[in-house]
Amino acid sequence: MKLRDTLSIFSLILIGAIGSLKAQTVDEVIKAYYDVTGGSNWEKVTGMRMTANVEQQGMSIPFEITSLKDGRMSMKMTFMGNTMTLAAFDGKTSWTTNWMTMEPEENPAEDSENARRAINEFPNPLFNYQKLGYSATLLEDETVEGTACYKIKLDKKTELVEGQEVPNVEYYYIDKENNVVIMMESEINSGEMKGNMSQTKMSDYQEVNGVYVPFSNSEGLKDGESQTIQFETVEINPVVDENIFVFPKK
Amino acid sequence: MKKYILGLLVLGLPFSYFTQDGVMNAGDYFGDLKARHIGPALMSGRISDIELHPSNSNVVLIGAAGGGVWKSQDGGVQFNSIFDNYCQSIGAVAMDPSNPDNTYWVGTGETWTRNSVSAGDGIYKTTDGGKNWTKMGLEKTDRIASIQIDPTNSNVIYVAALGALWGDSEDRGVYKTEDGGKTWNKMLYVNATTGCSELVLDPTNPKIIYAAFWEFRRTAFSFSSGGLNSALYKSIDGGITWQKLQNGFPKGKLGRIAVTVAPSNPAIVYAVLEAEKKEEKGLYRSDDGGNSWKFLNGDFGLTVRPFYFSKITVDPNNPEIIAKAGLSGSLSIDGGKTFRNLGYVHSDIHDIVFDVSNSNKLFVATDGGLYKSYDRGSSFEMVEDLPLSQFYHVSVDNKEPYNVYGGLQDNNSWFGPSASPGGIEARDWELVGQGDGFRVYPHPTEPNIVYSEMQGADAIWRFDVDKQQIKVIKPYPVEGDPKLRFNWNAPITTSIHQPDRLYVGSQFVHISDDKGDTWRKISPDLTTNDPLKQNQEASGGLSADNSGAENHCTIFTIAESPLSDQVIWAGTDDGNVQLTQDGGKTWTNVAKNFPGLPANTWCYHIEASVHGKGTAYAVFDGHTKNDYSPYVYKTVDFGKTWVSITSADLSTFVRNIQEDYENPDLLFLGTENGLFVTINGGKNWAAFTNNFPKVAVHYLELHPEKNALIAATHGRGIIIIDDITPLRKIDASLLTPNLTFFETKPFVISEKSNFGGTALSNQFVGDNPSSNAMISYFLPKRHTFGKMTAEIIDTEGNLVSKLEAGKLKGINTISWSFNGLAPKVAKGKGLSFAGAPTVKAGKYVVRVNKGSEVFEKEIEVQYDPNSTFILAERAEQQRVTKELFDMIQDLAFFVYQVDQWDATVDAYQLKNSAPNKTVTKLGQELDALRNKLVVTTGDNYVGTADPQLKEKLNDIYGTIASYYGAPSSTQMENIATLIKAMTDAKAEFEKIKSGSIKSFEKQLAKNKTVEAPVIVTFEEFLKLD
Repeated sequence: MKLRDTLSIFSLILIGAIGSLKAQTVDEVIKAYYDVTGGSNWEKVTGMRMTANVEQQGMSIPFEITSLKDGRMSMKMTFMGNTMTLAAFDGKTSWTTNWMTMEPEENPAEDSENARRAINEFPNPLFNYQKLGYSATLLEDETVEGTACYKIKLDKKTELVEGQEVPNVEYYYIDKENNVVIMMESEINSGEMKGNMSQTKMSDYQEVNGVYVPFSNSEGLKDGESQTIQFETVEINPVVDENIFVFPKK
Repeated sequence: MKKYILGLLVLGLPFSYFTQDGVMNAGDYFGDLKARHIGPALMSGRISDIELHPSNSNVVLIGAAGGGVWKSQDGGVQFNSIFDNYCQSIGAVAMDPSNPDNTYWVGTGETWTRNSVSAGDGIYKTTDGGKNWTKMGLEKTDRIASIQIDPTNSNVIYVAALGALWGDSEDRGVYKTEDGGKTWNKMLYVNATTGCSELVLDPTNPKIIYAAFWEFRRTAFSFSSGGLNSALYKSIDGGITWQKLQNGFPKGKLGRIAVTVAPSNPAIVYAVLEAEKKEEKGLYRSDDGGNSWKFLNGDFGLTVRPFYFSKITVDPNNPEIIAKAGLSGSLSIDGGKTFRNLGYVHSDIHDIVFDVSNSNKLFVATDGGLYKSYDRGSSFEMVEDLPLSQFYHVSVDNKEPYNVYGGLQDNNSWFGPSASPGGIEARDWELVGQGDGFRVYPHPTEPNIVYSEMQGADAIWRFDVDKQQIKVIKPYPVEGDPKLRFNWNAPITTSIHQPDRLYVGSQFVHISDDKGDTWRKISPDLTTNDPLKQNQEASGGLSADNSGAENHCTIFTIAESPLSDQVIWAGTDDGNVQLTQDGGKTWTNVAKNFPGLPANTWCYHIEASVHGKGTAYAVFDGHTKNDYSPYVYKTVDFGKTWVSITSADLSTFVRNIQEDYENPDLLFLGTENGLFVTINGGKNWAAFTNNFPKVAVHYLELHPEKNALIAATHGRGIIIIDDITPLRKIDASLLTPNLTFFETKPFVISEKSNFGGTALSNQFVGDNPSSNAMISYFLPKRHTFGKMTAEIIDTEGNLVSKLEAGKLKGINTISWSFNGLAPKVAKGKGLSFAGAPTVKAGKYVVRVNKGSEVFEKEIEVQYDPNSTFILAERAEQQRVTKELFDMIQDLAFFVYQVDQWDATVDAYQLKNSAPNKTVTKLGQELDALRNKLVVTTGDNYVGTADPQLKEKLNDIYGTIASYYGAPSSTQMENIATLIKAMTDAKAEFEKIKSGSIKSFEKQLAKNKTVEAPVIVTFEEFLKLD
């Protein structure tokens, strides 16, 4: 571990220790999270590419997730020698690959609209929530699996669901000792799982180009099964083939 | 620098790891030890209140009697629980009419005051549709009957606080807040025995309020409804002043009153009165806002059991259509002159609501769940997604998978599996008793025999499940016997020493050694036999209610020592704890030996310990005397002395305790507000909240073989923690190492396979346990920084499987499905895949890499001892699987080479526009060869191409690898054809290599526009993505 990493961990533990002595405001909690995970280094981040191998029944399935500051993103997967785009957004259109035909298909227009609304969230909607027009509230502290956490409610712009504007709220749980997000929740607003809470747990924070990134994300339903993506590489400001975002013309 | 960090972490230890008294608390370390819910929902459970969104009929809220608050956003097809972390006994739910999408209020404490009713702890509010809740006070009101929000001002809310059921209380009456719940004012209070049982607003003028007051009291042995203080009140100034409404009402005592205002014509008010005279009980109507009343109807459906059914509803669009909750539910379309019964729904209806936008659509809350009607109550469909079952008890058998047995409030007795293909569905449950169900036991050695009972032991059945034969086997009084007094929930238990033995408790302990055919009493009357507590015929108050629910001076719990059938404990509902050490010849009452226990407190459960003949636990429940204190005691000297093992962590009363069979300090407590665990013999207790709601736990059972803790909850069905063994080992020694593995038994590879379940998305399906190897370890601290991964290694150090490492503070589990690594498969179109083979039995090492530290633990994997396959068959299966595995990878490498050459051909042709016969021919030969090796066209559905070698290999590999016996001769013949096809294809490729490829290589060397492909070795190829 580099000295800089050690210093950062030391400082975040210290911030945590001091932070626990007095009541925190939501902005102080977010600022501590921002500082601990890189501070001003985040301002230099314009894109991120993460690769992972998801282990399923002994199969190692490669994933590549690329996201850019302008909101474009692509998530590709290689399965049995076939590389396919699971999800992509080129700034206007959100699209996926049909598993039957292996052909690209546009997502419902509402998905694209909702992605457009989130376009400026990179790298983290908490960092610039005010500029985004969102509101953040510090709720009562909660303990997540034995770890004391701040709980932040991030009220984002509404999203469109079946033609209706519905609240778009995320909850962030920030480990009080380390000041990093260890869990995020949001309500599923559409489809058969509507009303359930989705839950993402983060861990394995590691430093890349001066910012700390969780290399392990477990996603699933609250109180249900989850799937972990363990990232093997994270590149900051990667050189990307811009075509990966674009909905291919048929 | 590391020293400083270390120092800081060490300094932090005393604060983060221990409580103030230096004792570890299990609650910090549950980690990913999680409960699962198996329901069932086929009979659902009692629902106390329904609330519909005023303008979006898709949104439905229900408050369950003991199962919390559930929300549907699809018109009642599916529901989600939105109140798990709070008191699950619900009296009233309400949506703010000004913000019905987001702001809901929940009043806890059911008000349908049957004997088994749970209590509340105040009022709660959410402003985000149920995702977060804040308690808004009224903690001592015990039960809340109605919440009415001023439609013109969300900060003004009126609450009907019924108050304490079991004792006097001043925390009852009409409460009002004008600041959104920050402060409350009591606007109307009558006395300490009379609470507000209903409150409604005039929808056109919310300052007009109708409030029904009810004088009532329940004890363990009686119920009284009615008195001179019951009355209907009206306020026209927002609750500042009140007028008693009585013009046209009967004189004398009144009981529980239902009242409602017709939304479409608020001058019309309906009230249903419980009165002294039979002919004065029933429906009254006022057409002048309550100033005068006219008696309309005294039908049974209107007057039956007012304490349990006092809800009346008016069609929001028609003041003449009214519905009254009741035994079956009643509906009038002529303004209350006449009524018809609702169509078939589960009996005992507590609430009926009309959809505002379509008043032909009704929701009905019953003892057996939620029902919907689309034809104004003629026919109904049940909501099948609400696992609200109210178990009184649970037991288990030793089948594989084991079954759970239990009886439910008003919903019979059942058993069902702890695991089932696709999840545990409604169809998996089998009915084994009628009426209200309570204790159900399988015969210890004859799995087809089940004992069950109904209320007050009106029947105790022996049911032969296989033959479907029922025999009533309850003890009857014989010559010289007094009347037998059986509790509503009469104790039955089996013996682990004598399989055919059965114990039943009345005021006597009855014993049978022939499965209930003949009985003998082995005790005198073990109760106080207090005649003042045995006048149940007079119970009910204005409406007689002698259902058996108030039977008292009865034995409630019987516990035979697992170490000796001569040692038998009996606890009574009037506070006695009796012990015999000679099989019933003599009994000693040890009730006076419990320090701090008020006399006559209900002994709810005795747990005779496996750790010593004289060791036992006793749990007492004082709530029927309005005493909500926890009483839990332990003795090690046959009851001569008892030590209290409660702590300040327990905030309410307790019904059950379960000891661990190995670690005497590990105990589980079923309390009124959830499951609690201690790892230090009761020095402190921790609420277990990992997918375990704050629900009343009536009974706990620890499966002796599986180490699974099974909880009978009174409102959320059966909840199971599949393996509690890690809890046995939690102590301070685990806090120093960065990771400690728990010891495990050998893991058994399940050979079961199935086609899944049949449940639809609107039906609840209970979770299955995992059939994987669950490898547990302890982390003293959550892992947040640096990489942490897990893998399985064989004894030779080869990687077998990559796994997900748990990273939580406390207990973590790695789940391994006994798979190895999957073969690398040839590229091609389509999703034909080859999964990983199952590993052989043997020793393996689990390796966890945590930052730079490596932790290892050897584990053992075994074949199913009940399997029919012999080792030779397994060896053949493994040999053929390996052969096919290698062929699949061999083919992948083969196709890779073909692709490399083909790509070079394409590149050459791109750079050289002039046609070249050699190159063209090579391209054609490679295409033709590849087309035999892998599918290159079509889609993954019905447009799929015919399978080629890859797809055929994957198919037969998957078939053989997923079976545990030897491949069949047909399968082997099929493999032979594939081997030949592979050999032929390779020969063809060799021919191409020596022909067209050789020519192409010369052309490349001459042309120099494109390099010849670099073909990596097979080993290098396997590492490529």
